[in-house]
Amino acid sequence: MRGRLRQAAWAVLAILVAVILTQSTWWDTNQTVFAQALVSGLLIGGVYALVAMGLSLVFGVLDIINFAHGALMTIAIYASYLLFDNYGIDPYVSLLITIPLLFVIGVGIQRFAINPVMDAPIHNQLLLTLGIAIVIENLALVLFTGTPRSIELAYARNEFDLGLFTLDFPIKVFGAVVSLPKLIAFMVALLLGGAIYVLIHRTQLGAAIRAAAQEPEGAEMVGIDVRRIYTITFGIGAACVGAAGALVMPFLFVSPTAGATFNIIAFIVVVLGGMGSIPGAVVGGLVIGLTQEMTQIFVPGSSKLLGVFVIFLAVLLFRPQGLFGKVQR
Amino acid sequence: MIRLRKLAQASARDMMVLAVVVAVLALVPFGVSRFTLSVAISALIFALAGIGWNVLSGFAGQFSFGHAAYFGLGAYTVAVTLTRYSISPWLGLILGGLVAAVFGLLTGWISFRFGLKGAYFALATFALAEMLRLTFNNFDFVGAGIGITIPLAGGDDWARIQFEDTPSLQYFVILGLVALSTIAVIAITKSRIGSMMLAVREDEDAASALGINPLRAKLIAIAISGFITALAGGFYTQFLLFIDPDLAFGPFVSVLILLRPIIGGVGTIWGPVLGAGILSVLGEVTRSLVREPPSFLQVIEGVNGLDQVLFGLILIVVIIRAPDGVIGWFHRRRQADTA
Amino acid sequence: MRKITIYLSLLLSLALIATACVSDSEETTTTTAATASPDTTQPDTPDTPDTTQPDTPDTTEGTIAPAGPVLIGSIHPLTGGLAGAGNRMDNGARMAVEEINAAGGIASLGGAPLELVSADSTGAAEVGQSEAERLIGDGVSAIIGTYQSAVTTLVAAIAERDGVPLVIDVAVADSILDQGYTNVFRIQPNATSMGASGAQFLSELAGDEIKTVAYLHDDTGFGVSVADAFEAAAADYGIEVTARIPYPPFEVTDLTTEMSQAAAVSPDVIVITGYYNDGLLAARAATDLEVDVKAVIGIAQGAFHTPQFVADFGASAELFFNSNYHFNASDPVVQGILERFEAAYGEPMDTEAMLSYQAIHVIADALERAGSSDPADVRAALAETNLADHFMAYPGPIAFDETGENISAQPVLMQVVDGAVQQVYPLDLRETDPVFPGTAWSNN
Repeated sequence: MRGRLRQAAWAVLAILVAVILTQSTWWDTNQTVFAQALVSGLLIGGVYALVAMGLSLVFGVLDIINFAHGALMTIAIYASYLLFDNYGIDPYVSLLITIPLLFVIGVGIQRFAINPVMDAPIHNQLLLTLGIAIVIENLALVLFTGTPRSIELAYARNEFDLGLFTLDFPIKVFGAVVSLPKLIAFMVALLLGGAIYVLIHRTQLGAAIRAAAQEPEGAEMVGIDVRRIYTITFGIGAACVGAAGALVMPFLFVSPTAGATFNIIAFIVVVLGGMGSIPGAVVGGLVIGLTQEMTQIFVPGSSKLLGVFVIFLAVLLFRPQGLFGKVQR
Repeated sequence: MIRLRKLAQASARDMMVLAVVVAVLALVPFGVSRFTLSVAISALIFALAGIGWNVLSGFAGQFSFGHAAYFGLGAYTVAVTLTRYSISPWLGLILGGLVAAVFGLLTGWISFRFGLKGAYFALATFALAEMLRLTFNNFDFVGAGIGITIPLAGGDDWARIQFEDTPSLQYFVILGLVALSTIAVIAITKSRIGSMMLAVREDEDAASALGINPLRAKLIAIAISGFITALAGGFYTQFLLFIDPDLAFGPFVSVLILLRPIIGGVGTIWGPVLGAGILSVLGEVTRSLVREPPSFLQVIEGVNGLDQVLFGLILIVVIIRAPDGVIGWFHRRRQADTA
Repeated sequence: MRKITIYLSLLLSLALIATACVSDSEETTTTTAATASPDTTQPDTPDTPDTTQPDTPDTTEGTIAPAGPVLIGSIHPLTGGLAGAGNRMDNGARMAVEEINAAGGIASLGGAPLELVSADSTGAAEVGQSEAERLIGDGVSAIIGTYQSAVTTLVAAIAERDGVPLVIDVAVADSILDQGYTNVFRIQPNATSMGASGAQFLSELAGDEIKTVAYLHDDTGFGVSVADAFEAAAADYGIEVTARIPYPPFEVTDLTTEMSQAAAVSPDVIVITGYYNDGLLAARAATDLEVDVKAVIGIAQGAFHTPQFVADFGASAELFFNSNYHFNASDPVVQGILERFEAAYGEPMDTEAMLSYQAIHVIADALERAGSSDPADVRAALAETNLADHFMAYPGPIAFDETGENISAQPVLMQVVDGAVQQVYPLDLRETDPVFPGTAWSNN
């Protein structure tokens, strides 16, 4: 009965939104703004998806709340920036360095700090990872000072002749603009998401990870070194933000708190998409990105994040397993 | 009547400990600088907030990551009632506590009815605190982003809880609030409500099999918890003479609140106070070390951010080595000794 | 359980008291130094200081015995997200103190040197408050700070309560000086002044060409109060704010949607108020969208008047306006200060640091006139300040009204022209002519 009620509620909501949208004079005068919100939301949603993917893996496999996820992203952002500033390495090339770097750092953190609290109550895990985040952020502060820095890619506003057509960045789509760094971030994020999906569902390592996630004792019995799997998975999660950090660096700023914004959004995306689900992280990321921008244009005078939190609570209450998660607990 | 007397007998020992602790803490204001007194007052404010948190998250086992919601509601109630309606903060404190309790009951009812537990409940509490912050930030009635400034009363003003001439009085007021709340907590632990909460914390299904209504226990816990934490928030407004959405509802506030009981010992009577003491001392020591380090540590002088790094490292070490907090660590040491 | 608890609580209290001793011992040694000065000063022997050599401020040939240093507290965010600006401000103050001491210290106090006591607000209001109390306990004669309105509000309350004057170098919220305080002074223009002057500049600069404005601003107290003031003043000049778009400055990663909303109402100009990071995002969004407006104008915007913005944004930074406080870049004395700062600290001096530098000079001037380092005397002297010889870009002298606001404080309109931030209006302060209408993308 509750299920039917819920479906009916969703349907009514969708119809209401469609009616309001198309029938208002607002629509006529603001198509461009709507298109921009759509585009911006999707583009940043891709990055959210990548960040959330790492978190979702860690949550799904190790069952721990990693509050240092955003801080790890900050490390990646700084690494990419330093490589660019000191050696002129293009941020997208630096991906080759930041991904393995963060993997190693993730492995290190898991082995020495997280392992001891694997069985501790969640508040301890939370505080531990919070402590790690504090250490990382303030180390960045000590080493690099708090002055925010940013870069502009030299080729961000160039024309690219692709034979059949030329792309003049920022390109215009229905009156909305798509800037080059954001487009690249979006595409690479989704690509990496696909790669991780393949890793988890089509490789032996992935099978071991899934086994360790669902049945650690059973996995242990068939010879899987669960401890090693945990470490590797955490490393993969860190590698995700290693990539995300390098991808966002060109259009964000480099400061000790740069990754912090993504931290809480990542949690919301993970809950929305379902713990441990890669497609869930992708869909969730896009939805949250869109919600953010839509709140901005439809609910003026409030914060962008308000809509996001409303969705968050709604998911927690009505479908805590998320869109793609399986019902558990 | 008989129940009260039994309660009194059972809690006699704890009351004696309380008396000793209060007596010792009452000595603090004598002969210290205003600065140190402020540090001590701040420590007690967050100790009080932690005592409230402990009721829901420690005794009833529902970990809250958004207790800033209650803290902030208490803070703003005092600020608004004082500046707009000239209501004395004493009444404002009670009102704030009631507002927080009602908020807790409403949101708690929704959350628990929908079966939110564990990490999900924690995330929901965080989301609620953030939503309050965002809403207050855009709400002109409460000053929006600018916040509310409390006008100076001048001199010692009991009605306004401001003590310009005798700052130690402010310390005694918060100490009194801490003592009263601790008495309430002691009463809870010795009463049936307390054992209901503990039963629900340990195993909810078993508890309901025993005839306990888990929802009722959790709701009572959340109401009491919210009330006490709101008292701390209301007092905070009077201490700072200013409040804005970040100071009231910020995520960092929630972390500060839960840090004390966890370091001291979750689910214990004295955890929050002990944790508050340890953290204040730790914070001040690291800050003075960075300000004026001894000669062999000269290299760290003035290095900004180092004290936070140290603080984070200490936090990590404590969580790994003493996950039950300091009190839990002592317990285990004692058990190990007697084994 | 109870034995342990008693033991622990005793330990805890002992520890608390021990911390008290640590902080109190700092306090006792410095208070004796501070109290030495008032006893030895005699305000009516002005001849003696002239005979002292600049680099030996303690030797006097008169009746005045060498005085201890005058302590000035400096509270800024030295750690945390705003540490960049905070450290520059502290350095600006430090440089002022060093230069004043090298020039002989405070003459009317027998050449007593200034000593800067730096404190870290960490960007948190409560920490700023307790640091203020610590500094007052250490015996400072005055405090400068703090860069953030919330922190400054708390520090101001303490300063007022304890009777130690606070000279605000940077903090814009009107409400700080709305409390009837007599111990708090501000040298920068407040939010209302920023907004109102901004509207005035727009109207004088463009005449009839600016009739409609789309206003993008941060949703903190800062952005809201400046935008409110602008909107009210603009109405008097016949300028209408047709859209107001607030955004959360510390959470946004992109402002393209907001900028699109601003452009959608087809305004004559887009006005932006906010901090550095979001200013950069807004500039990027405007450039990406190539918004069809006559100009993009910052009002008290944290980015568009900084050398860093030009360095970070390159050629795209061209033609952005900003109506903001600024040091007087056309004054050779100021240019000397900028050069010395960059040589000493390795980064360009921004206006915030210059305001801290200025604040020290204001206090030094008050000390000279007061002839005493007692906070009450300094406060009285500050209230009478009339300092024409200052480094900021407004014509009048620094003088405070009864609420503590600087009556001459005014922003100046700047524009990025030929790759450099230059003052363009009012005309007697300009370094180059403004380019209006004009945006970097429309001029290509």
